[in-house]
Amino acid sequence: MTPSDDARALVSLSLSFQPLANQIGPLRALVSDLCKPHLGDADGLSRLLLAAHELLENIVKYSTGDAAEFHLLLETEASGLRVRLRTKNRAAPERMADARWRLDALAAARDPIAHYDELIRDSAGRRDVSGLGLARIPAESELSLRYTTEQDWLILTAEGSASERMRG
Amino acid sequence: MSALTLTSVGGESFRVTPTRIDFNLRLVFTGSGDMNATAVVNDYLKLVHDEAQRLGLAQVSCDFTQLTFMNSSCFKSFVVWIDTVKKSEVRYQIAFLTNPNLPWQRRSLEALRRLAANLVTIETIA
Repeated sequence: MTPSDDARALVSLSLSFQPLANQIGPLRALVSDLCKPHLGDADGLSRLLLAAHELLENIVKYSTGDAAEFHLLLETEASGLRVRLRTKNRAAPERMADARWRLDALAAARDPIAHYDELIRDSAGRRDVSGLGLARIPAESELSLRYTTEQDWLILTAEGSASERMRG
Repeated sequence: MSALTLTSVGGESFRVTPTRIDFNLRLVFTGSGDMNATAVVNDYLKLVHDEAQRLGLAQVSCDFTQLTFMNSSCFKSFVVWIDTVKKSEVRYQIAFLTNPNLPWQRRSLEALRRLAANLVTIETIA
């Protein structure tokens, strides 16, 4: 990922890989190791790792084909830090339709926490798939979540601010 | 009083260990609740509910102080469990014991408390 013109990248990671469930833990640990020295508090790191984990699980669960991408950018901005996570994976038509439906509903929601609470209530009586992972990102990590598509590729971007560690 | 039939489940990366004191059941969760733990949590919470009903428990405490993470699928299992308790004729309280050094816990569990504020409490263990 390319840093914006007036920003300085502290961490920039781009990964193309065949997604497997047992890679999520090590990748999450790598994100933690790379970002922890720059983030100002444990809560900021915790929020980032939650978003990274849910995005990576989303890839593992729903991607079709052998290739997927995971990108991390942590950069300075005037008021602190900016973090951006981006995933790119192929999705089957039914999964793509479901993801678009969920993400459009999320984008239309005024309050991500109220929207998440509504999804939780709706899902309570269902024992099938969670359906909560993507909505959890803006509700709990406080990162915005948006998507684009390129043919059968689904591209998710989670982005937001974080506080910077004070340099001694 | 009948004996507890629940046993520990899980492995090295994720484990749940039950302990009973009178009418309280304490479940100690350790490790990471990720994709590998989802089925374990889902099945175990069904057993917990059956056991709580059978024994007439007053409270089930979920000790998360050693739980480093919980994914949305494991979280969903707690949603279903809490909803099941809400709809039961005989209810019991559910307490979550959290670690202040793991900030995701408070944030995630607040959503469960909002789902059933009269059943769910959250305590921080210093």
